[in-house]
Amino acid sequence: MRWVWFHKLASPKWFYSWSNFWALPVFCFGCLCLAIGLVWGLAFAPEDYQQGNSFRIIYIHVPVAMLAQSCYLALGVASFVFLVWQMKMAPIFIKAMAPIGAVMALIALVSGAIWGKPTWGTWWVWDARLTSVLVLFFLYMGIIALQSALDDLVLANKAAAVISVVGLINLPIIKYSVVLLETLHQGPTFTLTKKPEMPPEMWLPLLCAVIGLYSFVAGLVLWRMQSEILMREHRSSWVKQEVMENGL
Amino acid sequence: MTYFSFVRAEFLVLWRRKQDVLNALLFFVIVVVLFPIGIDSSSEFLTPAASGIIWCATVLAVLMAVDSLFKEDYRDGSLEQLVVCGLSLPLLILLKVIAQWLAVILPLLVIMPLLGEMLYLSSASLWALMVTLLVGSPSLFFMGVIGAALTVSIKQGAILVMLLILPFYLPVIIFSTLAVKAAQAGLPYSGFLAMLLAMSLLSLVLSPFMTAIAVKASVN
Amino acid sequence: MHSFASLTVSDLWIERAERDLCKGLSFSVQSGDVVRILGENGAGKSSLLKVIVGILSPLQGQIVYSGEDVTVDRRFLQQDVIYLGHSSGIKPQLTVIENLRWYCPDASPSALHEVLESLELIDHIDVPVKKLSAGQARRVALSRLWLGKKTLWLLDEPFASLDVRGVELLEACIRQHASVGGLVLLTTHQDLPSLSTRDVALLS
Repeated sequence: MRWVWFHKLASPKWFYSWSNFWALPVFCFGCLCLAIGLVWGLAFAPEDYQQGNSFRIIYIHVPVAMLAQSCYLALGVASFVFLVWQMKMAPIFIKAMAPIGAVMALIALVSGAIWGKPTWGTWWVWDARLTSVLVLFFLYMGIIALQSALDDLVLANKAAAVISVVGLINLPIIKYSVVLLETLHQGPTFTLTKKPEMPPEMWLPLLCAVIGLYSFVAGLVLWRMQSEILMREHRSSWVKQEVMENGL
Repeated sequence: MTYFSFVRAEFLVLWRRKQDVLNALLFFVIVVVLFPIGIDSSSEFLTPAASGIIWCATVLAVLMAVDSLFKEDYRDGSLEQLVVCGLSLPLLILLKVIAQWLAVILPLLVIMPLLGEMLYLSSASLWALMVTLLVGSPSLFFMGVIGAALTVSIKQGAILVMLLILPFYLPVIIFSTLAVKAAQAGLPYSGFLAMLLAMSLLSLVLSPFMTAIAVKASVN
Repeated sequence: MHSFASLTVSDLWIERAERDLCKGLSFSVQSGDVVRILGENGAGKSSLLKVIVGILSPLQGQIVYSGEDVTVDRRFLQQDVIYLGHSSGIKPQLTVIENLRWYCPDASPSALHEVLESLELIDHIDVPVKKLSAGQARRVALSRLWLGKKTLWLLDEPFASLDVRGVELLEACIRQHASVGGLVLLTTHQDLPSLSTRDVALLS
């Protein structure tokens, strides 16, 4: 009984109608939170006493960097699920998620560089977290390149899943190894165990932006998955009916 | 087919294709030579940079060698036969990778003293470098072979393999160069060797299964 | 003599590249049968053999070999099968005899000699296969049938690139195998008057 939802997730038809209901609200909620967080953070939050106004890029950089990592975690877990249980929705999720993760990693790199220029005086530092985000970006690009190079759908699904799982196992090791190299970056902004050192009027908008971006990406992924489902299941009768009744 | 007859055939094929191994070795040497010529040939630059240069060249040479590991077998249909022969595919892959590792890394170790001399490495740090190669290179092969199996059906797969697999090689390069640097400074480096060994063992356990999945998906 | 073997395929669905190849195919064959799989080009004959041997996975359906359900794990079937696909699986760098020693390490030197003699390969025994003609290379692959001692043969277009003499030899070999309790599934467009075959038709 408890596993019913798990099996339902495996059915593209059920998932399609479920996501039809959820995608828009989740996306709109995300946009709203993101807008509040960004306006609040960029315009109204107090200035940092050390970094001045340049710290405000934190409201973009931190949510995006968190997303870049979370997306990969989600990719890895979905891939593992696919390799073990052959769940049909998992490769669709991977296909929908990988480009978003790549964009997040890229924005994190760019915003980090923009932040680095006034704070460190240079666009790029070979610091542990910067380097690992760069590697993360390469991993995403690898998955995307592999998927587009393989014509056979079955093989492309398997290949993307295998490389994501291998990446998930490797990522902590990569992270540990680059930490062994020099570290210049400031400590993590959010930790679950310690009270944040920032005042609430600084971290509340950040929290808002983080939640907003997660929800924004969730909505986006649901939509991308929907279109991928329509593409893959275009021969099945329920898709034809769906398109006839509701249009695209 | 038995495991023994498989290994015998693998070594025979490697022996018949010794030119390929030689090519990988020459490629390795040429990449190493590029650095003194392209950047700086003084010992002030080369001595500290030597381990990094050698490891980068090794990584590239290994990927070139690994990329061709399944290509021939895929073309002549023997990869298909490995899948259906009733033996354990992960074990066959493990044996194949070990054979290839021996064929590439042993000659590499043999010419290493020569390159060490060319890059002005002291004998202590050359020794450390060779140990890191011996301990760390299995993980290069085991990770690379996953990429090779995934891209075996693509005609021009070599660049894709590089893109997929090179990021995974960063830790091996970092641990190895740190080990050699420690040796150059006269510090103990067994901790780094332990990390390299751990990575090799982890990839030895996981990679044959992942590669088997990839091979099965590729031969259809 | 081979022990009694049977192969039962029930309600098999195969999909390749967004096309349904088999929709609920069922058939049952047993020791002594020579089964010809018929169908137009692209009807899925090769895919059917690949599914049975375990290279492809079916969408749904069941495969039972000699009483054992091998739908999920084909190991039991694979230990008793010789599968010859479009590409023969012969390594071109190895010589004729090295290839055979790889596939059939248990074969005695006299048996090897005898088979190579009858296939007219005995003069090329130490020649790398890449230096042989396509038909000769095909004979090398087929010689596994004489030496392999497996019950189930899955042959994808076995008569391709064989000359008249080669076809005769192979037909005789298949007849002999069926008479001692072997089981053969093959795809071909050729009529095989000298063999009493059963046909399985794939409709597209």
